[in-house]
Amino acid sequence: MEDEELGGRLGAARILSRGVQEAPRLREGFARTMLYAVIGAAGRVVIPITVQQGIDHGFTSAGVRMGFVTTLCAIAGGAVIIGTLAQRAAVLRLGRRSEGALYDLRVRVIRHIHQLSLADHTEERRGALVARVTSDVETLAEFFSWGGLAWLLDGALMLIVAAVMLSYDWLLALIAFGVALPLVWVLRVVQTHLGKAYDKARSRNAELLGSITEVVTGAESLRAYKAGHIMAGRTKVVARQRGDAFVRAGTIGAFLFPSGEVFSALTVAAVVGVGVLRGTAGGLTAGALVGFVFLTYRFLEPIAEFTEVLDQTQTAVAGMRRLLGILDLPIGPPQPTSPKALPAGPLSIHVNDVTFRYRSRGEVDDDEPVLIGVSAKIPPGQQVALVGSTGSGKTTLGRLLARFADPLAGQVVLGGVPLTHVDNTELRSRLVVVPQEPFLFDDTIAANLGFASPGTSLAELEHAVTALDLDDWLASMPDGLQTQVGERGMQLSAGERQLVALLRASVADPDVLILDEATSSVDALTEVRMARALERLAQGRTTIAIAHRLSTAMRADRVLVLEHGRLIEDGPHDQLVEAGGRYAELFSAWVSSTSTGTDEA
Amino acid sequence: MSGGNQASTRARRDRWRSAALLIRDLVRIHPRPFFIAVSGSSVFALCTVASAVVLRWIIDHVIDPRLRQGTVAVGTVVIGLGLVIAVGVIRAAGVVVRRTWAGIAHWRIAETLTGQVVDRLVAQPVSWYQRRPSGDLAARGGVDVDASVDVLSPLPFATGVVLLVFVSSMWMLLIDVPLGLFAVAIFPVLIAINITYQHRVDRHYTAAQGHLGDLSAAVHESFEGVQVVKAFGAEARETERLSVIAGRLRESRTSAVLLKGSFDALLDSIPALANVALVLLGAYRIRSGDITIGDLASMIYMFTLLVFPLRLIGFALSALPHSLAGWNRVREVLDEPLEADPELGVAVAADGVGVAFAGVSYEFEAGRAVLSGVDVSVVRGGTTALVGTTGSGKTTLLRLAAGLIGPSSGTVSTVPGTRTIVLQEAFLLGASLRDNIAFGGDFGDDEIWTALDTAEGRDFVEDLPRQLDTEVGERGVSLSGGQRQRVALARALVRRPALLLMDDTTSALDPSTEARVVARLRAALTDATVLMVASRPSTIALADQVVFLNDTTIEATGTHIELLATNDTYRSIMEAFELDRSDPDAVGAPVIGPGSVTGGAT
Ligand SMILES: Nc1ncnc2c1ncn2[C@@H]1O[C@H](COP(=O)(O)OP(=O)(O)OP(=O)(O)O)[C@@H](O)[C@H]1O
Ligand SMILES: Nc1ncnc2c1ncn2[C@@H]1O[C@H](COP(=O)(O)OP(=O)(O)OP(=O)(O)O)[C@@H](O)[C@H]1O
Ligand SMILES: [Mg+2]
Ligand SMILES: [Mg+2]
Repeated sequence: MEDEELGGRLGAARILSRGVQEAPRLREGFARTMLYAVIGAAGRVVIPITVQQGIDHGFTSAGVRMGFVTTLCAIAGGAVIIGTLAQRAAVLRLGRRSEGALYDLRVRVIRHIHQLSLADHTEERRGALVARVTSDVETLAEFFSWGGLAWLLDGALMLIVAAVMLSYDWLLALIAFGVALPLVWVLRVVQTHLGKAYDKARSRNAELLGSITEVVTGAESLRAYKAGHIMAGRTKVVARQRGDAFVRAGTIGAFLFPSGEVFSALTVAAVVGVGVLRGTAGGLTAGALVGFVFLTYRFLEPIAEFTEVLDQTQTAVAGMRRLLGILDLPIGPPQPTSPKALPAGPLSIHVNDVTFRYRSRGEVDDDEPVLIGVSAKIPPGQQVALVGSTGSGKTTLGRLLARFADPLAGQVVLGGVPLTHVDNTELRSRLVVVPQEPFLFDDTIAANLGFASPGTSLAELEHAVTALDLDDWLASMPDGLQTQVGERGMQLSAGERQLVALLRASVADPDVLILDEATSSVDALTEVRMARALERLAQGRTTIAIAHRLSTAMRADRVLVLEHGRLIEDGPHDQLVEAGGRYAELFSAWVSSTSTGTDEA
Repeated sequence: MSGGNQASTRARRDRWRSAALLIRDLVRIHPRPFFIAVSGSSVFALCTVASAVVLRWIIDHVIDPRLRQGTVAVGTVVIGLGLVIAVGVIRAAGVVVRRTWAGIAHWRIAETLTGQVVDRLVAQPVSWYQRRPSGDLAARGGVDVDASVDVLSPLPFATGVVLLVFVSSMWMLLIDVPLGLFAVAIFPVLIAINITYQHRVDRHYTAAQGHLGDLSAAVHESFEGVQVVKAFGAEARETERLSVIAGRLRESRTSAVLLKGSFDALLDSIPALANVALVLLGAYRIRSGDITIGDLASMIYMFTLLVFPLRLIGFALSALPHSLAGWNRVREVLDEPLEADPELGVAVAADGVGVAFAGVSYEFEAGRAVLSGVDVSVVRGGTTALVGTTGSGKTTLLRLAAGLIGPSSGTVSTVPGTRTIVLQEAFLLGASLRDNIAFGGDFGDDEIWTALDTAEGRDFVEDLPRQLDTEVGERGVSLSGGQRQRVALARALVRRPALLLMDDTTSALDPSTEARVVARLRAALTDATVLMVASRPSTIALADQVVFLNDTTIEATGTHIELLATNDTYRSIMEAFELDRSDPDAVGAPVIGPGSVTGGAT
């Protein structure tokens, strides 16, 4: 996963501090929160102090001084209540802030992901991208609601306990710290291993989710080829690997908390041993020593809790790292710093010596470029057909014109402005691509059409349908414009999906229209009718139609022929047919494939 | 009022019951590691009480004698310290055992459940999937399984805590009955507060869980349609829409967190206040000589130690609703009876017949027939073209023939032997080309290359640096449209089918490639019955027979020539391109006037 590598080299502390930077709300009023946390922590050493005071001054050998004990308990009770209220205030403040910060972060990540280039939006990454917004932010939410709080409150607690210990007996305190010190080293070592183990477990988890998704989305093919059990077998192997990885991480984690336990036993033994050995010589009292034992447990208790929340912290840091990885991905194609406005009206398209290679199949570097030195000047309002055999690079060229990616070399100039200088939003409002397998949202036909231009009234949508000569078709839909299309539009037939996508593009009313085999699944009659309707619609727009059905090419002003990534022919239909090149070949194949053979023969 | 109360009591009781059932069902899957974890937790609980006993002994026999009376035997000190360390180490060992085996139980059970869900998913026929959103189904095998086993992680610890509460209560009562009674009375209070809190906070967590589900679904769809989102410059709009859902999530989360903060403070302060009270009460008991300072100190110590474990009961409870919801969703998949496999309903066709439909109707939703009264038979060993307008039901007819869906009425019969279908939109796995063509079958490379030859795919595969080992990316994203179609075709051909169903599988090919594919298919599949959805007259003309589908039923069958001569609608479709060529401006020419697309020009 590339995006994990990006943030991958940063240490945990750096990640956290960048996390705070990205979510500035966390810092708001932090000093005040911290003050409450410290007061709250102070409330938690009340009991050890009460015990010490009670033993030393209340339960003397001479007898029990009830008055003293009563006063002591009243003060202690008050202190506990104040501490509790302060702690509550700290927790509520932090809770409100962190939920706000998480919300901000989520929205930022969503916005950023929407702006990423399509190259970063491959299907394999989709699950991962969704996970960034959901489960990764969730790890942070869990962290803030427990782990983060624990670090804050317990950190304060440790400081205060240490101070009280020092005030009781600095020598014993130093001994306690000294014995507990190696624990820090142990924790660090375990933590490193733990971090790696969790990273691995999480990537196995992502694999498992991907595998289950394939089982579901490919259900029809798997069924048709009786390959279901094989896919299920594969998924189970991944499930086992994920289990193994998590068990391994869990086993490492299982040693964290107990190591804190062992160290507290050792520290208590050391403190009691030394205290007893030294006796009253250093002014040590029985109460202070018992209080000390309590304090030692209190001192190491947070460590125990730290280790409990360390897993969680690891998870949160890893989640944050992945989020930063996404936020660090350059949005693409990058937004120009000083965008130039496009001229009004139909736009010209100049393709200057463009070369392009996909990087996703990157295992092999010497992959041939998919487009090589393609150049063409298309004047405003021209109707262009882009043809060529399958795999020749037509779709790729369309993607570059729409700036779903930038060329490796050369440039695309739209209306006199290089694409790299066109504002992304303006580009999208002026140029629309209709792909071969269009995506529809799980909603009504009307909602899908309206997506192109929010606020379009139903009457306007109906008008668009009429303009494309599709009234009959719409009438055949069970609920007309209100027909539900289903997930990905699967409740429509393939051709119907294409019709909806085409309508959607016409509603957007762009100045440049790129049709990538937009009618390949539509029957001939409908296609011809639509082609004519489109021709009317295309008046005053620049249109590039990619099609294997050369009826489109015939009525275009100009035909471009791509072969193996190179532009090999360029000219009007008649001229190219006459020239007898590749296009003439394609065209005669088309003519013979569409002749009914009765009239001519 | 009281009726409502009763109902809510019953609902609560039902919830406890289903929680108990959930735990039983889960633990049953892998009981061993779970019970090892529980015993580790018990060791921990017993040692916790033991450490309080040791502390008392040290105060009374080491600290007090030494610091108040001045002397203590070295042996006593050594024994005391040894005990502290020994108990600490055993207690830690208990934790290691508990955590390790709790993890094993958790993940092994999750693994088994995922396996069961996946097995179930692949066992259900296509018709079952049609009514269910795919994201929801995928979640059942993934996050829902994880949610249901989440209840297990705190469970061994919680069991240990119950033991701890019991043993420590006994022990405190043994030390001193009045003080013990006071201390023990606090436990139920703490547990009651915990439960009340859980009850109140559940509402917010459940709401948050729902919002989170909505958010994931919406985010998933929005990212899936990112090309459309970008194409229409709707990024900002989409972000806005999603942030509204995120805002709802934030609200219920915040309410939960605030509630939790208040209860946490309450739950922390009660043991602390109880401890203060213990000091006061203890003072009387010490004065009357009933207990020692060690007794009192160790009781206070015990109480301090209990705070965190008691919270765990809360955590275990808080995992419950979440787990129950996940478990119910998992069970829905596991318990739902297998839908009858439509494939079993496909009969064997009579001799000489390749595919036959007898009185077949199909409706996706009641009352709206997509196909009705389809009666047609296709010759065995021949090629039949299926022609029809957009949305006329061609894909549906092929899926019926493939046994992927079953007819609402009527019967479908086909030639015996291997049946394969090439779907209109090729589905490719995120795997190598070889795996995508073999698709679970056991085929050698030469068989795969032969199939590719017939599908006209050899050239492009040979051009790839890694040839058959090329990874195509999820859904085959790194291939062009035409390349994907040919891989899907090769997948069908490598199986040497007796019946090959092709759904417009050459739509993304240029005419000359298509012509070559069809020619090769005819040469290679001499015995097979081929039923193909086709749109180009040349391809159709090659077929032995044409079936013309219009207006939910078969309008005509015969050879291409016959249909051209006898059926006007058919003719108008076939000649559409030709007519368009000869007279590009013949808009609205009578034959292809409106109405002919859906209604028949009878
Ligand atoms: N995402 C990708 N990663 C790597 N290679 C790709 C990717 N998309 C396409 N290709 C390759 O680039 C070449 C050109 O593909 P493109 O989709 O542009 O062809 P096309 O002319 O549109 O073909 P068709 O007519 O079949 O749709 C093909 O060889 C294809 O395998
Ligand atoms: N899952 C579904 N739920 C409800 N209706 C559906 C579903 N799938 C298809 N339909 C409807 O059934 C009709 C027939 O669809 P089918 O896919 O069989 O058409 P087709 O002839 O293959 O069309 P095309 O040439 O566009 O592929 C269409 O009107 C379509 O809207
Ligand atoms: Mg293409
Ligand atoms: Mg279809």
